[in-house]
Amino acid sequence: MRQWREAPSPLAVFGKCGNLDLLVAVDAAAERLGLTAGLALAQARAMHPALTAMPEDQAADARLLEALADWCQRYTPLLAADPPDGILLDIGGCAHLFGGEEKLRDDLLARMTGFGFTARAAIAASIGAASAAARFSEAAITPTDDERDLLGPLPLAALRLSSDTVAALARVGLKRIGDILDLPRAPLAARFGAELLRMLDRALGREYEPLTPRLPVAPYIAEKNFHEPIAREEDVLATVERLATRLKAALAVRGDGARRLELALFRTDGVVKRIAAGTSRPVRDPQAIRALFVERLAALGDEIDPGFGFDLARLSVTIAEPCPDEQIGLGGHEDQAELDRLVDRLSARLGRRRVSRLVAHDSHIPELAVAALPAQAMARAELGWEAFRRFRVQADLSPRPLRFLARPEPIEDVFALVPDGPPVRFRWRRALHEVIAVEGPERIEGAWWSEEGGPARDYFRVEDKAGMRFWLFRAGLYRDMARALPRPRWFLHGMYA
Amino acid sequence: MGTPARSAFCSPAGAPAVLDRLRRELCAAEAATGLTPDGGAALGLGISAIDGVLSGGLGCGALHEIAAAHETETAAATGFALALAARQALPSCESAARTGASAVSTRITGRYLLWIAEDFSLAENGAPYGPGLDGAGIAPERLITVTAARDRDVLWAMEEALRCRAVGVVIGEMRSRGIDQVMTRRLALAAAAGDTLGLLLRTTPHDEPSAAATRWIIGTAPSFPRAGGGDERSHGLGPPRLTARLVRNRRGHLGAWIVEWNSVEQRFELATHSEPLAGTAFDRPHRAAVA
Repeated sequence: MRQWREAPSPLAVFGKCGNLDLLVAVDAAAERLGLTAGLALAQARAMHPALTAMPEDQAADARLLEALADWCQRYTPLLAADPPDGILLDIGGCAHLFGGEEKLRDDLLARMTGFGFTARAAIAASIGAASAAARFSEAAITPTDDERDLLGPLPLAALRLSSDTVAALARVGLKRIGDILDLPRAPLAARFGAELLRMLDRALGREYEPLTPRLPVAPYIAEKNFHEPIAREEDVLATVERLATRLKAALAVRGDGARRLELALFRTDGVVKRIAAGTSRPVRDPQAIRALFVERLAALGDEIDPGFGFDLARLSVTIAEPCPDEQIGLGGHEDQAELDRLVDRLSARLGRRRVSRLVAHDSHIPELAVAALPAQAMARAELGWEAFRRFRVQADLSPRPLRFLARPEPIEDVFALVPDGPPVRFRWRRALHEVIAVEGPERIEGAWWSEEGGPARDYFRVEDKAGMRFWLFRAGLYRDMARALPRPRWFLHGMYA
Repeated sequence: MGTPARSAFCSPAGAPAVLDRLRRELCAAEAATGLTPDGGAALGLGISAIDGVLSGGLGCGALHEIAAAHETETAAATGFALALAARQALPSCESAARTGASAVSTRITGRYLLWIAEDFSLAENGAPYGPGLDGAGIAPERLITVTAARDRDVLWAMEEALRCRAVGVVIGEMRSRGIDQVMTRRLALAAAAGDTLGLLLRTTPHDEPSAAATRWIIGTAPSFPRAGGGDERSHGLGPPRLTARLVRNRRGHLGAWIVEWNSVEQRFELATHSEPLAGTAFDRPHRAAVA
């Protein structure tokens, strides 16, 4: 954004179209000189040697559009980017919050101009009509049922048709929407495809066109506007608590509690900061919600750059779950609640994935037998250790190590008395370990059903001369080398006390 | 309170009792001021020699440092810390343990165990492994693991966890050097406030000042083969043995012991019947053959 604001004028942006560099956008000064989009770059330079031309960057354009769409969330949660240059807002039910449709449009345009954009906006009853009006007409607000009058004089391109269809229509002399409004439908569809009629019907409001929101719409939202932007952390937290108090009433009515929350802070210069926080049980308590954001803000530190301040704060509950009303202060539940609060605080500061519960999986392969899953998600889940214990007793499983390496580490200089027997000494991390006691082997078959399953492993519990105990395994068998299988390799997988 | 003490001093037999009583009173007075938080219920190791030195056991609401003698022996130090954690959960279900039919009755009730570790330490020394913990008497259901990128975050998380009443034991595993004494002080106070056992697990020994109630250096020791392990060529591994050196103790003397962890009864035993001086090669013919 900055680059283009400081760029010299007249300015044009060009893009490649086949082998030709064509102008895709020009600024106001260039427009006054008679340059338009679609002109060849060489020709434009010949006409005005002083012209500054820059190559286009579509990815950056898309990002900018997304960021702007994000910012537009201050008007309605239901919106979608309409690439390459549009944003669709569903303002049904929101306009009165800004003093009516006219005021909302004025406010939006004033702020956009303030950011340095040349923007046009139109309000209509269908996406098609609004898009056509914003791009091709001066009409600001089109009342329902007036779409025919609005669309009639506009070019067919306003219907969001492909350029091929527009060209084909032009060849038979159909240039304006009014030209096809009263034509018989069947021949039109036969000749130009069903798409033409569908877009026409959508623009006229005869067919409903749903808007696919950019972001899922949160079930509970509370927001606060500030006449004077806020920038201090304490103010943000106080706002969170105020908003949470308002959400609490709404949540209580439907018996819900928040599992995931999002705080959106709208900066005055159009940047939107989003801070998410999760909980392990549904919460409604404003104090608890504030405490979560205390940790989040502490973890983010300088990343929350308030700049000239935030002029709108919105707290939304993105995931809500039924929250039974609980008695407070009686017995064991209190402990559980306290643990949940601790888990939430740790997750908020360190990250959700860093606070985990161990979950037993039904797998005989050691590294797959257990997984660390976020504790917030697993607070009430069955972790599967009961089944593991039954299995351990049934199968008389040999002891497993206390500490386990995520990737087995290769060990070298392994010396065994018989080829497939237990090791007598081995070298791990450059240190030689002499084995004095061994238990095993325990054969664990590889995942033979999978391509990456690997060979069978023979696990040994060994103790070295110093008393260190390890869980080693040999992948493969020496006798299999006769079948042209690769040479077995030794690994260290875990440590015992 | 002066007179009975004086009269007791007259008889030499009464002196230890008086010393004991005075020590207790001193402890109580200190605990009341909140200045030396090494109090709380005592967690005995189950060995009278060690528990005597600790005047009853480790303080449950206190911070203790456990360091591995060498980084490669971190698993041994982990085992010691986990054994303490398992014992800490013990009293609440002692009857269940006594009647328990299975060899290791894993306790699922009780307060939670939080294991907070630095990423680097986990990468180097391995992460806690559920099936192994379950075998060591720690119910994975009661375990919450936390990882942190910086030592600062480990200490912060430890302090938060120590203050939580739902947590019984906090293990903080750190690889970095230098922990500020002020920080250990904060941890000790938090442990006292939450009546939580705080264990600072370090991968190498340090001698910096600390507010911890005790400091242990744990190393490995060769196990004594199981009695009646029939096969001559390869006998099994005996119960794990550790060398435990108590190098700092706010309550009394120091000491060094070789202890053996009895996983069936979940208690330590003093390793009496073999000092690994001469016996090892003699008992292990397969090794003699190699040499």
